[in-house]
Amino acid sequence: MNAALVIARKDLRQRVRDRSALVLGILAPLLIATVMSAAFGSAGSFHTTVGVVDQDRHELGAAFVAMLRSPDLSDVVTVRSVATPAEARRLVHDKKLGAAFVLPLGFTPAAHGTATARIEVLGSSDQAIAREVSAALAESFAAQVNADRLSVLTALATGTSAARTAHLIAASARLRLPVSTRSGDIGAKRLTAISYYAPSMGIFFMFFGIGFGARSYWLERRSGNLDRMLAAPVRPAEVLAGKALSTLVFGLASLLTMAVVTSVFFDAQWGPLPAAAALVFAIVLAAAALTALVAALARSERQADGVASTVTFALVLLGGNFVFVSSSPELLRRLALLTPNGWAMRGFVDLQSGAGASAAVQPVLAILAFTAVVAGAVALLARRPVSS
Amino acid sequence: MTVSAATRATPSSVRRTLLTCRNLSRHFGDRVAVDDVSLTIAAGETYGLLGPNGAGKTTTIRMICGLLRPDTGWVDLDGRRGRRARALIGYVPQDIALYPDLTARENLVFFGRLYGLGSRALARRVDEVLELIDLRDRRDDRVEDMSGGMRRRLNIGAGLVHSPTLLVLDEPTVGVDPQSRHAIMTSVRAFGAEGLAVLYTTHYMEEAERLCDRVGIIDRGRLVAEGTRRELVARVGERDRIDLVVTGDVDALVRACRGVPGVATANRTADGAQLIVQDGNELLPRLLAATADLDAVVRSIEVSEPDLESVFLHLTGTALRE
Repeated sequence: MNAALVIARKDLRQRVRDRSALVLGILAPLLIATVMSAAFGSAGSFHTTVGVVDQDRHELGAAFVAMLRSPDLSDVVTVRSVATPAEARRLVHDKKLGAAFVLPLGFTPAAHGTATARIEVLGSSDQAIAREVSAALAESFAAQVNADRLSVLTALATGTSAARTAHLIAASARLRLPVSTRSGDIGAKRLTAISYYAPSMGIFFMFFGIGFGARSYWLERRSGNLDRMLAAPVRPAEVLAGKALSTLVFGLASLLTMAVVTSVFFDAQWGPLPAAAALVFAIVLAAAALTALVAALARSERQADGVASTVTFALVLLGGNFVFVSSSPELLRRLALLTPNGWAMRGFVDLQSGAGASAAVQPVLAILAFTAVVAGAVALLARRPVSS
Repeated sequence: MTVSAATRATPSSVRRTLLTCRNLSRHFGDRVAVDDVSLTIAAGETYGLLGPNGAGKTTTIRMICGLLRPDTGWVDLDGRRGRRARALIGYVPQDIALYPDLTARENLVFFGRLYGLGSRALARRVDEVLELIDLRDRRDDRVEDMSGGMRRRLNIGAGLVHSPTLLVLDEPTVGVDPQSRHAIMTSVRAFGAEGLAVLYTTHYMEEAERLCDRVGIIDRGRLVAEGTRRELVARVGERDRIDLVVTGDVDALVRACRGVPGVATANRTADGAQLIVQDGNELLPRLLAATADLDAVVRSIEVSEPDLESVFLHLTGTALRE
């Protein structure tokens, strides 16, 4: 075991001197996590500016604008008055507006009578979400108007005098549909994008260490240093253990740096410290075991590179390091649980959502089981003779 | 570093046997790489394993160093076998096996630690080795910034850092400039003088002659002869070697030479013929007369006293460098 420590120490010294390893282990995951958070981080707090062309200039048009400007919608839309439909189209095209509404001349009289009253929604496929949200708002308003009309017609049909029609219309206009929706999360805390992508990108780049470690084993062989080590009283398994150990230490340093920096500067939530630390240690241990496995499986430096890349990308694609596993199809969600990183991400998501530290127990055990299987395979492969 | 005459003068027969290899054999598929090789090396002795490329030298030392499991046979080093024996061996591979991004000192410390040397002893020994290989001033330079000669010396130093009792050098002068070659040979002589047993493989006859107390001649995996230079030369009967550079019908010339009384062997070489003869200078006129009428022109003639090249030719029927 002493030889493994000596080899790991030497490898770490070399990695620290290799700037590309530092870039890949520390800087790249930070950068990518930040970029992905910026890209997806606003998904839960959509906001757009909409234009209103009020050619109607009657009470229904004013009611529509009032609805858009209501406190309930202030987080979603900002309303801007626009003079003409042509100008509204230009502003939408230029992305100055997310979408625009055109309330045509005669909109209110039509709604009071039997003619069809239309609200035109101007949107573009470049801003599909804004267009869909605007259409939904228009439909919501139309549903409200229809409900008002229905209530007035019902009153009239039941014998209310025509003299009270104006009063009924005014009263119904103050009503709101009794059913409303409010979205919320099951967990105690809302999962933010940076909280997801910090561990996922950290694990993804930490997995690159598998290739580093495995390739360095074969580089040792090509350079004759492996022979030199094995001519000393060192077992082949100790060399593999040394490579795995250096991956472990470098991976821990990489993920811990990621955790500290994203927590301090980006307010990422990693969950309770002991549970998050256990998850980090378990997934790094799995990566270390995979390093030894790839080194033992490969038969050349190039093979080590190829096998490591295949393993890394298969794991991160299946494990959900690029996409939220929860929004994936059922099959992918099941496949993710065949990977150690899939379990780790599940554990992190649970912890970040406010679950207690015990939520990490099952993922940690699953990752350790995976590691044990891999380590067993390494032990078998290490018995093969080094030279043929 | 100077060579101790007293140590070199001690006959190997009275020194303690350090390394014993018995009946080592190794096959690679159908090819026999090493065939029943047995040899011993005494403490403080420099033993040369001489043979052409592909003769089985490297395979033999890889088995001795525990890097290759023999099909048959065993290796004993000072009463130890396996992992414990490996701790006594300093292995210096043919190619430079160092870490370019580490300094000279860091390389030596790494290899020393693999042998379990403690920090204090290791630091002292690393300084000694750096002094020995004349790299003390370059101790903190990275290997990638060193010259080829310095790397060669450090390559040997890495095999010495744990104070082995047997130093195994696998063709350390291949591809080396004359100056570095001289430095390496001087160092190897010094190691022997200081009581370190050395196993030195080479296909350069001059190196084996100059450095080694005893030489084992290996060809096609078999150890065909072994002994001191004097003992080996005696096997060819103190005969001279004549190297002829010939153009034209070389085969006819070789056949003609074989018919001349006093010619022991005559073989074709890359640029002519090589003869082992009883007395080269006396025989030369008769040889030229015998080949005068042939369609072959002798461009140069070189008569050499008996040496290991002659021995190799005599024993194997081929020149060492063929």
